[in-house]
Amino acid sequence: MREPCADGALGPQVALSLAASVSALAIEVRGLEKTYRTPFRRRKVEALRGVSFSVERGRVFGFLGPNGAGKTTTIRVLMGLIRPSAGSCRIMGHDLPSQVARSRVGFLPEQPYFYDYLTVSELLDLAGRLFGLDRATRRRRADELIAKVGLDRARSQSLKKYSKGMLQRAGLAQALMNDPDVVVLDEPTSGLDPVGRKEVRELILELRDAGKTVFFSSHILSDVETIADEIAIVARGQIQSQGTPRELVGQSLQGTEIVLRLAADAANSDAERSLAAPARAARRIADELTVTLAAEDDVDAYLALAHGLGAKVVSVVPRHETLEAVFLRQIAGADASGSAREGRV
Amino acid sequence: MTAQPSVAGPAASVGRIWAVALNTFREAARIRVLYGILVLVVASNLLALVMGEMSIREETRVARDVGLAGISLFGSLTAIFLGVFLLYSEVQRRTIHAIVSKPIERWEFVFGKYLGMALVLSVLVALFGLAMALLLGSQGVAPSLAVAKALVLAWAEVLTVAAIAIFFSSFSSPFLSGIFALGLFALGRLTPDIEAAAATAQGTWIPAVATVALELVPDLHLFSISGRMLDGVAVSVHGEFVGWGYVATALGYGALWILGLLAASSLLFQRRDFS
Ligand SMILES: Nc1ncnc2c1ncn2[C@@H]1O[C@H](COP(=O)(O)OP(=O)(O)OP(=O)(O)O)[C@@H](O)[C@H]1O
Ligand SMILES: [Mg+2]
Repeated sequence: MREPCADGALGPQVALSLAASVSALAIEVRGLEKTYRTPFRRRKVEALRGVSFSVERGRVFGFLGPNGAGKTTTIRVLMGLIRPSAGSCRIMGHDLPSQVARSRVGFLPEQPYFYDYLTVSELLDLAGRLFGLDRATRRRRADELIAKVGLDRARSQSLKKYSKGMLQRAGLAQALMNDPDVVVLDEPTSGLDPVGRKEVRELILELRDAGKTVFFSSHILSDVETIADEIAIVARGQIQSQGTPRELVGQSLQGTEIVLRLAADAANSDAERSLAAPARAARRIADELTVTLAAEDDVDAYLALAHGLGAKVVSVVPRHETLEAVFLRQIAGADASGSAREGRV
Repeated sequence: MTAQPSVAGPAASVGRIWAVALNTFREAARIRVLYGILVLVVASNLLALVMGEMSIREETRVARDVGLAGISLFGSLTAIFLGVFLLYSEVQRRTIHAIVSKPIERWEFVFGKYLGMALVLSVLVALFGLAMALLLGSQGVAPSLAVAKALVLAWAEVLTVAAIAIFFSSFSSPFLSGIFALGLFALGRLTPDIEAAAATAQGTWIPAVATVALELVPDLHLFSISGRMLDGVAVSVHGEFVGWGYVATALGYGALWILGLLAASSLLFQRRDFS
């Protein structure tokens, strides 16, 4: 299209797929902005204020943020449901909204609504038709996926009779009908009980092991922390930070927690006092003393001291900042700068 | 990587349109109101028979007139009802999110939605016609070619009205769409009467405005021609009715309007945000 050589020996189709396969990124989002205008109240909502991130192929990417952060808005732009006010996205190297890109993606909407008069088999058949699968493939994939998400016993019920968790499973199944390269899940674990959440986490890891890229949003920290290879924290329509869970929380050692068992009769002795002195905090229950050393303290020297005083080392645990703390701190930061900006207006 | 089915090309496109149409048909077949309308049409046919009994003139004449009028009126009202709700509810209930995020183009969705609706309406018109034929048959009246032609015309009218309703619902709420579609239906039906009325106001701006306004509206009266004058000749299902050439022309006219309206709906739908 842009150059005359597109009509050359390779043909546009081949050229397109070559260009696509070169990109190592499954998802690229650049400078996304979205302003909602409510028509009557004349109020503007800046849902996205320059969101950029990229997801490498084969990764599990967690999109973490509080309510109203802009997660769903980002995902809707990514899936071509809404048009951004500015910015661009690419999926598997294809510009959006492209039909080819959509054929390579599986999507689970937030709080999925499906045609409630269909059974799960019919829903999957419809999805398969839209992906252009032939009848045999549709049937085979549907059977596999219904078994995988555990809806075998409910397969002849209409979706109207499904519980929230069952709908979520049906939604996951329809997202996987095309055996997608990229899976985009908007809050896949919301509304699920602990067993259901664990199953979804396992399904996501299974998809990763099959070489797929998984992009999912959540505000459930433990879900993101346990399965994501990479996390972006979003608040107030902007990415606050992005990195591996270790990068986000592990850089700053907060201190070291050491549990000692004191020698007989050492309680309330000079020995206890000299063990407690260098610690930032110390607490004794019966003959167990728990001390917390500051990050910069010499742990080896302290352990030698304890050894010399006849104490036994029960455990030594380095304490990092938790993801929760990082998350809360960044949200608070975003809120503060947001309020400051609004105050100026 | 597994081989991917092609999403490009007319065959794939038809497959997706058909998938949406089939699903729409399923959805509409579950709307109980439609069965109520069917009962209403049969009841109005029965009423027409009873009224015919009481009239001095040929009794089945009334039955045929009321029957045909009922089919095109109730058929068109059903078309408006389905047209303004089916597309809207997809957006409102967010069922559309899992659909248009798949490799279907928005215009394919609009055409599929219309096709499904057209299938439902066709079945409905066929049932209306069957009910009418059975009732007339019970009175010893053989089905006539004229009535068959009138039925085909009513069918074309109903499908055109459905496209009008879809067009409005591609950018406005069911309430407004319903009002617009009803308005257009009335204008289209009364075109000759409006023209005649406007002609009496010769010398003012009224005839000019009426001409322009009526140009923008499909001439639905072409589909219910019985009892009107065509080229100075009275046309009636009871006597001299139109030929198949007229029916074909009317069908072509309807098809052009339908295509135009669906194309415009697709353009409007293309620009919409779904959130
Ligand atoms: N259609 C809309 N019109 C106006 N404002 C909207 C619309 N959709 C979303 N918003 C606003 O955009 C902001 C971001 O919403 P979004 O749904 O993307 O958040 P989220 O991160 O998905 O939150 P949650 O965790 O609650 O799902 C919110 O302030 C929301 O009120
Ligand atoms: Mg959300």
